[in-house]
Amino acid sequence: MPFDTFSERLKLVADESLALCKQEWGRNGLGIEIPIAPKIGWQPTFYMKPNRVLMVAVEVGDRLFPDSLRGAAHDIEHYDFPISVYQACAFDIYQHDPHHDRVDALRDHGFGIITVDGSGRAVIQTRAEPLAQHLSQKRLDDVLKPLTPTPTLKVRFRAAYATYCANVGQGLQAAAQIVESMVVCIAGQAERAGVVPPGTSGKDAALIIDDLYPTGLCHNYRAALGGARNFIRQYRNIASHPARTPRAEADRIRNCKTGFLEAARIACELRDLIRGVGYRVLVV
Amino acid sequence: MSDVLKEIAPSKIERNPDNPRIFFRDEEMDTLTASIRRYGIQVPITVYSEGSHFILIDGERRWRCARKLNLKSMPALVRDKPSRLKNILLMFNIHALREQWDYLTIAHKLPDVIELFQKDNSGREPTEAELSELTGLTRGQIRRCGFLLDLPTKYREILEEELALPKQFQKLSEDFFIEMERALKTVQHRVPTAIKNLNSARDALIAKFRNDTIGNITDFRMLSKIATSVKRLGVRETKAREALKSIFDPHSKIGIEQVFAEQFEMKFDERKVIHSADSIYDFLEHSLSDNSTTKASDQLRKSLSRLHRLIERFLKS
Repeated sequence: MPFDTFSERLKLVADESLALCKQEWGRNGLGIEIPIAPKIGWQPTFYMKPNRVLMVAVEVGDRLFPDSLRGAAHDIEHYDFPISVYQACAFDIYQHDPHHDRVDALRDHGFGIITVDGSGRAVIQTRAEPLAQHLSQKRLDDVLKPLTPTPTLKVRFRAAYATYCANVGQGLQAAAQIVESMVVCIAGQAERAGVVPPGTSGKDAALIIDDLYPTGLCHNYRAALGGARNFIRQYRNIASHPARTPRAEADRIRNCKTGFLEAARIACELRDLIRGVGYRVLVV
Repeated sequence: MSDVLKEIAPSKIERNPDNPRIFFRDEEMDTLTASIRRYGIQVPITVYSEGSHFILIDGERRWRCARKLNLKSMPALVRDKPSRLKNILLMFNIHALREQWDYLTIAHKLPDVIELFQKDNSGREPTEAELSELTGLTRGQIRRCGFLLDLPTKYREILEEELALPKQFQKLSEDFFIEMERALKTVQHRVPTAIKNLNSARDALIAKFRNDTIGNITDFRMLSKIATSVKRLGVRETKAREALKSIFDPHSKIGIEQVFAEQFEMKFDERKVIHSADSIYDFLEHSLSDNSTTKASDQLRKSLSRLHRLIERFLKS
């Protein structure tokens, strides 16, 4: 019998959250109280595969953010199948979590939350993206901190982050566009100063960088330009190529996450370059 | 009995249907999971073999953690299959002596032990001492289990639901029911007319405890004192009955402590003072008649003088 090791109360939580998940994601690939894979050190209460590149796994329990989830987060994040993980608990437990500390910890670490009230009504309180995709608000703040004197860039990156949370590929594209527009911004001002020939700023970002190299304008910032060139080459097209296998999708998600963080780092370097050569940061 | 130590996959192990433990609290399990994840399973579980599977005798919490952590195998001592009575008693002796079980857990299984004992002993019921020896529980523990065992199903279910909650959400405890039942038994014995319907009285006391009209489970001892005051203090039965009825009235907002403090506490205190006064009297009389050469200490004289002055004031008032 499924869930027979649970108390009556937790059995209700398990039954109702399972019903909600079936309604939300279907019952394809449903597994109840069986491990996902030997290399993941955690057995969810149940899991399902809504499509060929996503798995949704649910942990039912009264203890919010249990040690088993905490310990398995790394395994799940690096598994060759993108997995969104939810914790299902009684609504009372969710509501009475002191200062919402554990609820916040679950969210910060990328886990979703499902609650079931006494009458059996299940609700998704927080949605979860695949754990490999998760980038916490705190991590984003840390990455964007060096951009502090340039609020426009921070605002642009926050908008890109919102896109990233909903669609990892488009989020990376939005971040890449910020980097590209910074390169165009350098080229536009260099054109007006006669450093590069007119029309340079209309080229692709990679070609602009190639044109900027020999001018000597960015002599002290060659690493920043090189980094931007490499970034454009490496991440530009990731979002455009849909993955065919779960493993490819997991890799794509991880690449997008790395790319997003890389974009923020490169934006900082380019911002320093722009200021260093006496130009202004004009990002559209 | 030949024990063999093996590494067994958790998926090949099944729960023991006779395991008296019914509550596995998530916060306790979480601590154990963290320990096992860091240090592994240090103490093997105990199982017996049944067909292609193994049945747990000891170590259900470790087994649950091993499954949660998706461990490939866990150390287990494999024993011969015991008889059902031995199976239950093994679990009692392994668990109950090692850590405090919930009384309800034990109470659920005691009837099975009694029944199986009767089968082995031509229908004779075990004495409390025999039960204590068999299960490794003290007689006091067995008596406390008895209170829970005698609870009507409805109240046992209320308690079960409560015990399944995480500790911070539990309001009613086993101790609450044990103290309540003990007090109700005393009331039924001493002032039987105070309780028309025992379940209604239980419901009222539970409701009053839930809404804090009854502040503490130790208040039930005052309930017993009210009931015994008729015989011990000569309180009129009608007075005790009315007081008890007001406590059992679900519509009143009267708690046990309030009734006791207003109507009975003074009487009990008086009795205590009378005992103390008698004791002082006996001591002084004995000291005077003894012709003892030993002089009373200055401290005693000082205390008695102070008491003497106060007694005079009290008697004149």
